[in-house]
Amino acid sequence: MYRFFLSWRYLTARRTNIIGIIGITVGVGALILILSIMTGFLQETKRSLRGTLSDLIIEPVHLESREGNLVPFAPEPILEAVRADPRVAGAAAQLIWGGILGQSGRDAAIANVRMADAQAGKHSFVKLVGIDVEQEYATTELRVALESPEVMGSGRVHDVDRPFDPPPGYAPAVRTLATVLVGRQLAEAWRLQRGSEIEIMTGVPDPITGDWNVNNRRYVVGGTFRSGENEMDLEKIYVERRELVDFLSSPREFSQVLVKLHDYPRDGKALRDDLDAKLAAKGLISRRSTGEVRTWEDFRRSLLGAIENERVLMAIMLSLVVVVAAFTIFAILSMMVTEKRRDIGILSALGATPSGVTALFLWIAFLDAAIGSLLGAALGTVGAIYIDQIEQWLSRTLGVQIFNRGVYLFDHIPAVVNPLWVGVIVLGAFVCTLLFAAIPAWRAGRLDPLEALRYE
Amino acid sequence: MSSRASPATARPAASPSSTTFVAARDVRKSFQVGDRQLEVLHGVSLEVGRGELVGLMGASGAGKSTLIQILGLLEEPTSGEVHFEGISAWKLPIAERARLRNERVGFVFQFYHLLPELTAVENVVLPAMIGSSFGAWRKQRKEHFQRAEEVLAQFGLGQRLKHRPAQLSGGERQRVAIARALFLDPPLLIADEPTGNLDSATGEKVLELLLVERERRGLSMLLVTHDERLATRCQRVVTMEDGRVTGDVRTAR
Repeated sequence: MYRFFLSWRYLTARRTNIIGIIGITVGVGALILILSIMTGFLQETKRSLRGTLSDLIIEPVHLESREGNLVPFAPEPILEAVRADPRVAGAAAQLIWGGILGQSGRDAAIANVRMADAQAGKHSFVKLVGIDVEQEYATTELRVALESPEVMGSGRVHDVDRPFDPPPGYAPAVRTLATVLVGRQLAEAWRLQRGSEIEIMTGVPDPITGDWNVNNRRYVVGGTFRSGENEMDLEKIYVERRELVDFLSSPREFSQVLVKLHDYPRDGKALRDDLDAKLAAKGLISRRSTGEVRTWEDFRRSLLGAIENERVLMAIMLSLVVVVAAFTIFAILSMMVTEKRRDIGILSALGATPSGVTALFLWIAFLDAAIGSLLGAALGTVGAIYIDQIEQWLSRTLGVQIFNRGVYLFDHIPAVVNPLWVGVIVLGAFVCTLLFAAIPAWRAGRLDPLEALRYE
Repeated sequence: MSSRASPATARPAASPSSTTFVAARDVRKSFQVGDRQLEVLHGVSLEVGRGELVGLMGASGAGKSTLIQILGLLEEPTSGEVHFEGISAWKLPIAERARLRNERVGFVFQFYHLLPELTAVENVVLPAMIGSSFGAWRKQRKEHFQRAEEVLAQFGLGQRLKHRPAQLSGGERQRVAIARALFLDPPLLIADEPTGNLDSATGEKVLELLLVERERRGLSMLLVTHDERLATRCQRVVTMEDGRVTGDVRTAR
């Protein structure tokens, strides 16, 4: 009994213990807080990494299929085959081609200045994406990107249901231009808004001679979008697919087919393999298992792997904080054993066994660890939940912007508290502390109690 | 309980009789000091009878403290045997020996040796706390504390119950230590110069208390002292010199 009683008494009577408890609290709290934020960041990044990617992407290589048939240039056979599967929620064809953006119309003067600026050069390569609006809306997040709250005022599409209609108030000088949708970042860099005219140049190889012909065409901006995927928002320009086919004079009517599933986590990989087999059998892709049918995760495999890796590394490094805290307990307990030598002698004269003395000091460590890690868990969890408020308060108080929302593309600090992790961290801190504490506690039990009793 | 004076003369190296409470037989003790062995006890035999008050005298370094620590089961002899109530104590398992120390021996030290973090009452109930399991303690906690408070009040410390040792005078501390030593009613009391750190007036009072309590409870007692006057109050005085027993005199008392 004296173990519990004395451990508690020593704990409360010795200030140094509080330092140990604070150490563990801070360690566990920081670990939980930072891991929660990391997880939040990674989830958010994963989401934005996915960006406008759909669940499955089918990119046929336009070669002869195994049977010697030419893989068709039109998307309809693939779309039909894909939509026949009940797991598919939607499918859309896209034609993608590169181009160079120039500006025309009333803002051309500014653009000329910018074009002369070496810095501006990097913005001028664009990715033209030809889409069918209804299919696209049913399959990708384009609609959400067009309605993003960050797309405001003259950047917004007038009628989201018909985004490629000429923008209201657009009075063309010569002839009505086709409408395009540009990424918000690109629009900002080029100072584009609804109604701005742009000029796009591109090169297209002649299907017969193979020579590259330069095409250019002027378009009017119908609005901007924000997918949250920085690079995409910086270089994507949406055009109607028919318009792009016409502009490129291309025999290929699509580059890829995007597929949306009802339940991607459940069916994603299975459907990928099924479609791969089915399309190859129909001669709609060139070969089986050549990666012509991919999930979005396949598409971003290396980046996702890096994120996962980063999280594991972070967890390992932060665990060191807890180890340091446990080490503090070790130091404090070692000090206490030395300091309490006489008490150990007294206890042993009064009938305490060496194992009882060891247990007494282990109890102190146990209490340190219990109080510290539970407090830390509470603090870390509450901190993670209210991280935004805390950040705002800190920013206000210190007058420094801690979290730059512009940099990260999310308007809050994402934090995801995983109860399992909290449990593991608390347990880890516990085990770690007790392991470290075992050394001085064991030493306390082995002390020769009499040496301490002989002299004052 | 009335006093039970030892009827038998304690003969060195005699076999433990039924009246012997604790006996050391040919006990040697050496310590490792640096790289040489230092022998402190060179074959000491001593018996303490039930209810007997034995004074142990000798110069510093004569081995008195080592001997009583061996008899009190705190220190293991290098060779020789210690019979505690007829049982060879150092052949018992550690826990069993600890239990004997807890229940059968009460220690009073020169420097009181109270736990500084505990109050006077808590110090007194400590032996009971050490001897009880968690459940047993919970059941008897109130009882123990009540009894400790009574004993302290009896010792004139009724106003000092909640004081820490640092807030008590030397005499008060030693009285708390005596209350602690007597708390579980052990049959053997070992006092190592209990008045050595007190002024003579206070020392006298503390000693009086100790002897009266011993008498009242009929305990065996080993009293280590430098003080000739004190020795005269013992039934038997054992003198030690350089690790050997050199005298064993029964006094008139």
